[in-house]
Amino acid sequence: MTATATPPPDSTPTAAPRIVVDDVSKWFRDVVAVSEVSFTVGPGVTALLGPNGAGKSTLFRVLCGLVPPSRGTVRVLGGDPRRDRELRGRIGLVPQQDALFESFTAADFVRLAGATHGVADPDGAARAALGLVELDPDDHRPCSAYSKGMRQRVKVAAALVHDPEVVILDEPLTGLDPLQRRRMITLFQRLGSEGRCVLVSSHVLDEVARLGSRILVIAQGRLAASGDFRALRELMDDRPHRIQVRTDHPDRLAVGLIEAGVAVGIHIEEDGLVVDTRDADAFGRRIAPVARDHDARLREVTPLDDDLESVFRYLVERR
Amino acid sequence: MTDAVSAASAASAAADDEARILDRGYRRYTGHRRGVGGAIRSVAWQGLRSVLGLGRPARAKVLPLASIVFAYLPAVAFVGIAAVLPVDLIGEDALPTYSDYYGFIISAIVLFCALAAPEVLVGDRRTGMLALYLSTPLDRPSYLAAKVIALAVALAMVTVGPPLLLLVAYTFEGAGPEDVGDWLVLFMRILIAGVAVTTAFASTSMAAASLTDRRAFASVGIILLLLVSASLSGVLVDQAELSDLWWTINLLAMPFELAQRIYGEPGDLPELSTWTVVAANLAWTLAGAAVVAWRYRRLRVTR
Amino acid sequence: MGAAAAVAAPAALRLSFRTVFRLLLTRGRLIALGLLGLVAVIVGWAVGISVEPADQLDAGADVMAGLGLAVLIPVVTLVFASASLGDLRDDSTLVYLWLRPMDRWPLAVGAFAASFAVAAPLTLVPLAIGTALTGAGAALVGASILAGLVAVAAYSAVFVLLGLVLRRALMWGLAYVLIWEGFVAAAGAGAARVAIRAYTRSIVYGLTEATTDTTTMSVPTAIIVPLLVAAGALALASWWLGRTDID
Repeated sequence: MTATATPPPDSTPTAAPRIVVDDVSKWFRDVVAVSEVSFTVGPGVTALLGPNGAGKSTLFRVLCGLVPPSRGTVRVLGGDPRRDRELRGRIGLVPQQDALFESFTAADFVRLAGATHGVADPDGAARAALGLVELDPDDHRPCSAYSKGMRQRVKVAAALVHDPEVVILDEPLTGLDPLQRRRMITLFQRLGSEGRCVLVSSHVLDEVARLGSRILVIAQGRLAASGDFRALRELMDDRPHRIQVRTDHPDRLAVGLIEAGVAVGIHIEEDGLVVDTRDADAFGRRIAPVARDHDARLREVTPLDDDLESVFRYLVERR
Repeated sequence: MTDAVSAASAASAAADDEARILDRGYRRYTGHRRGVGGAIRSVAWQGLRSVLGLGRPARAKVLPLASIVFAYLPAVAFVGIAAVLPVDLIGEDALPTYSDYYGFIISAIVLFCALAAPEVLVGDRRTGMLALYLSTPLDRPSYLAAKVIALAVALAMVTVGPPLLLLVAYTFEGAGPEDVGDWLVLFMRILIAGVAVTTAFASTSMAAASLTDRRAFASVGIILLLLVSASLSGVLVDQAELSDLWWTINLLAMPFELAQRIYGEPGDLPELSTWTVVAANLAWTLAGAAVVAWRYRRLRVTR
Repeated sequence: MGAAAAVAAPAALRLSFRTVFRLLLTRGRLIALGLLGLVAVIVGWAVGISVEPADQLDAGADVMAGLGLAVLIPVVTLVFASASLGDLRDDSTLVYLWLRPMDRWPLAVGAFAASFAVAAPLTLVPLAIGTALTGAGAALVGASILAGLVAVAAYSAVFVLLGLVLRRALMWGLAYVLIWEGFVAAAGAGAARVAIRAYTRSIVYGLTEATTDTTTMSVPTAIIVPLLVAAGALALASWWLGRTDID
């Protein structure tokens, strides 16, 4: 399975793309960090997945204009992020590195971010942004005294203070405890639903699954897949779907399924079956009549590998 | 073959009856532990390695090795001269004495100090390794002891090594002391003088390196501390004609002056009594150690 | 959405100046370099009480040129200016001033202004006091302050650029100050033209009656050329900020 070359695969079927990446490669001397990547991203939340060293951070830096692409073009909101001064004010970036201005308080740091973005009321905007990430704007401690999770939240606040249309977050959930992660994910979902283009990178799959279904998978500098991850699963047709069926008469049901031609492999267990099928839709249509015909009671039908992890593992480890 | 196979399968069948589950998870280390002494040795060795740039790309080795080479170069040159020319042709004053040797390599020693002390101390604070070290049997005093050992051994390469080389080479060429007793005395003098110079410089450079978290800043600080104290004392005594005791603030000259006295020479500052020189060096060494101890006691080591 | 606007140059300048100024003021640096300034005062006093009144001008000028312009100002300025943008680049925090709807040059100029604002009082005050203590007269004090201002401006700009472009800017800067300006440029008149120190020395010797150094250039040249160098360095730094990869 390959990503289409022209036009670049669109991870948003309906709205106009906010980010257009066309055949972008980036190399540093002999190390190729990103190789011939093309995609578009529209409003909503899109997750960039990839193992460590896949090129996610480099790609983000190219998107924000921090480094120029060695080849190819990047268009964010129609402009070149490297050259367009005004465009830089419409992007919010949460970079991967931990460092902040250590002697500043959180409020100072976010207020500076607002002021350098030309926000009309930096103080008010800073308070609002810190409130979004649940930090106290009146905390007088410098950032050097903050825990990793708090520093992460300061970075997010600084990226949101100027109300950007495009928000790019590089591993924003590291260092956060589960409750904070959930709240942050809710925040991202809200930003996406407001029409912003939110691009989040992570390698923690169950969080990404909660963010939304649109993903871009990057591995070894190349784009491995893009789109809705459930739809991607459908595309992976050389690998049968695995479905768990709990029933009171597994042997009878097994015979029926094989006769119906919807199973290529069945593993019989004490209280059910694990069925491999090439066509999950056909299986879904036929399982109920087959069960009825063979007098087997269906208790549970669960797809076992319809999740993001399976998709990811397939795409990445198959390389 | 089949007998062996059947015997094996019989054995395994028997073993199945006594099946055991071996714990394949986390296991504690139950072997011999080397204790604090071993920890100190490891940290000291690691410190020495990082000073010399071992285990890092060639770039990291250039400056330390260059300093060491410059420290030995005069020795090699003098040995060469002594080898080529017959001893009686060279006047007694042609070859420098051991006590004069330091005068040739002051810059190499200063440069080496400015590189070695920050390398030994600052890196751990910046990377967070200090927290890791203190979570082992090492506490702050033993950690610092290990660092002192590393720095002292490194410095000894440029303070003790070259004069020793000179002694050994001269002896082989017949230009050394004739009497065994004299030879031993000279050997002891070289060692003690080297240790004195090492201790003094180690203390001052460690003090400077413990005060800042940026290596470059520490290096610059050490160089400035030595050079500025030297020129300031010169100005105060020569220009302002204050008491000669003001020479004792010359952190650069005091150790070398002490070395001269150990060799029994009057030194470059004969107006100062030997006890004054000893006291000054002792005071600066203790002051440097106090600064390091104070700073590390106050240091809050968390993440 | 999109409440922000592009930031005009004056505001950008002010913001980058205030930010860098605040980041430069660390206690350790101030104490250490303040002590260095104290040395200049002590040396000036020592000269004042030891030298004959007739020689005080020459001795004072020598001390000024020798300690102030050759060591104090370059080193203090080096420490602050190379850190102004250099520390940001090393810590990967430059992005927080770079990825902004601002031009590049206010960042470079703001950093320069911040370094100047920190280094100038720290050096010129002790230098003026030390010079006054030499008893050489008000002319020398005035000349040294002027030379000092030009020196701080020129070194700040050059070292801001150095700190931005090089990894170990402090070491390279020190090599420049001690080795290049110390030995090479003092050796020949030709090489002297490529050393800031030669120009600033000329200001001191040109504006007073001190005779121990034969001035190689006129006072207006000695003032203008370093300032031109400063402007060039800042232009280069601004251009570099637009070209370089940002972490």
